[in-house]
Amino acid sequence: MHAGGVRRFASPDEAQGSPLAQAIFAIPGADVSEVIVSGNLVTVVKRSPAPWPAVGKAVGQAIRAALAAGQPAVASKPAAAGSATADDVLYERVADLFDSQVNPMVARHGGRVELIDVQDAVVMVRMAGGCQGCGMADVTLRQGIEAMLQQHVPEVKGIVDITDHTAGSNPYFAAAKK
Amino acid sequence: MLRPYSPRLLLLLPTVTYRTVAFVEAARRLGVDVTVASERPSTFERANPTGLVTLDFADPAHAAAQARAFAYAHPLHGIVAVDDDTSVVAAAIAQELGLRGNSVAAAAAARDKHQQRQLLAAASVAVPRFELRTIAADPERLAHGAYYPCVLKPLRLSASRGVVRADDPPGFVAAFRRIKAILEQPELAECGEWARHVLVEEFVPGREVAVEGLVTRGSLQVLALFDKPDPLDGPFFEETIYVTPSRFARTAQQEIAACAQAAVRALGLREGPIHAEVRHNDSGAWLIELAARPIGGRCSGALRFESGETGNGRRDTSLEELIIRHALGMELPTLEREHQASGVMMIPVPGAGVLREVRGVNAAQAVPLVDEVVITMHHGQMLVPWPEGSRYPGFIFARGETSEAVEAALRAAHARLEFLTEPAD
Repeated sequence: MHAGGVRRFASPDEAQGSPLAQAIFAIPGADVSEVIVSGNLVTVVKRSPAPWPAVGKAVGQAIRAALAAGQPAVASKPAAAGSATADDVLYERVADLFDSQVNPMVARHGGRVELIDVQDAVVMVRMAGGCQGCGMADVTLRQGIEAMLQQHVPEVKGIVDITDHTAGSNPYFAAAKK
Repeated sequence: MLRPYSPRLLLLLPTVTYRTVAFVEAARRLGVDVTVASERPSTFERANPTGLVTLDFADPAHAAAQARAFAYAHPLHGIVAVDDDTSVVAAAIAQELGLRGNSVAAAAAARDKHQQRQLLAAASVAVPRFELRTIAADPERLAHGAYYPCVLKPLRLSASRGVVRADDPPGFVAAFRRIKAILEQPELAECGEWARHVLVEEFVPGREVAVEGLVTRGSLQVLALFDKPDPLDGPFFEETIYVTPSRFARTAQQEIAACAQAAVRALGLREGPIHAEVRHNDSGAWLIELAARPIGGRCSGALRFESGETGNGRRDTSLEELIIRHALGMELPTLEREHQASGVMMIPVPGAGVLREVRGVNAAQAVPLVDEVVITMHHGQMLVPWPEGSRYPGFIFARGETSEAVEAALRAAHARLEFLTEPAD
């Protein structure tokens, strides 16, 4: 869907020029607030009470239509003019935190957390190794990584996990019981 | 400026539970501060000592002492357990800290099938005839004294693991030896006295339902009654489809609810979620099992409740949100389930082997009324059929106008799935 890294769209205006994101923002009744595209993974955040399964089917239709159109589904991220943006500065600080603290911690369980991007102060991560598909991955994300970000980089507004956890083949903790 | 008050919940999450995301995200939606307790340390525990703690789930009294020490520095306002084992630990901690919960005795009785049977029988709750047997006994001698058909089961394993029906003495001996082999596996043999016993009980014919409920001051509110349309007649008891609302007649549903309430009372349960298995036949409702925990696996995804307002309008409430609200003494929104029929299929294990690939997920997902197909087992993991196994490869969810339509959609979606496996080395 998008080979040029990660793109995050936080409004329909930002989605202009990216047909896939535009189509997802336009899903009736979904009130989509965020679309993130990374490679072939599409993450959608919505505000409406519409059930996910219904919205998910509409997202699927949007993806199929974008692919069938034969045009780039997502435009490349515009280059920042001039000096480093606030997100660039945040990215460096978050990357330092990941290198110095987060990844040494998850490495004890064979895991790895990749910093994918920081856009509008929202951190996007992908979990790998023992973290991918781990039954406790959400605890690691919320009680571990998010808590450390709040402490060390309080300017960060949120964190989004774009991992395909169903594809994890070696989770550290595999869910096994009720 | 002072930070607005936010209650802190102690969430007991075993590292092998399916329930992590549902409970952690429910707490976030409610704006509740969470401390996650597990039996093994998180690698982030030192970095976030308020949000993560390790407790000795194998020893509830020790876990309660650990929780007390933790609560000196980080006051706790409620506690939630997500499975059978942690329900007893939660009771011990609730008792120690004066939090809303069950007594240890009640939680322990619900946890142990023999204790449970004894209390229920003493309170005249309809339960099958039962006898406790040691696995050291000679099964051939036991077989001659048994009534048939009967069901043999371990005292504590979950998801019907090790539960086997026997119709005659040879069947009894085979079932007994099979369960004994399960209980003698090292990880179970060390679990205590319960792992050296088998419960033998009369097989109760009839249709089975699952009762999902919330207990407040000893009073049971039934949240949902799930029909199990596939007959559970053995020889093994792997669950498949749950569909709600129930298609039982109203009087039968009332008998089932009354049976579950009587069991709650007999066990002494006072607070929190329960999940009960009840059979119904011409003699009425029979309590098969009652657990002081919510529905297991991913199945809670089949439940949505009508809810109040949020900043962005109405939204549904999950079962986990109700449970957390109850534990913290927060106001409960309506406990009415959504108007649609809903169901879940615990995908049957297709056979023993190492999972290599699952085909047809998109086709299954495309079946009308199907909400979601979730494959929870990872490639390379072992598929183990019942009675030795206890893990479903995944779950299918559907919603629709009627229970019949939902059931049909679940079956149609399942028919489109294909599991490719290889023999284990």
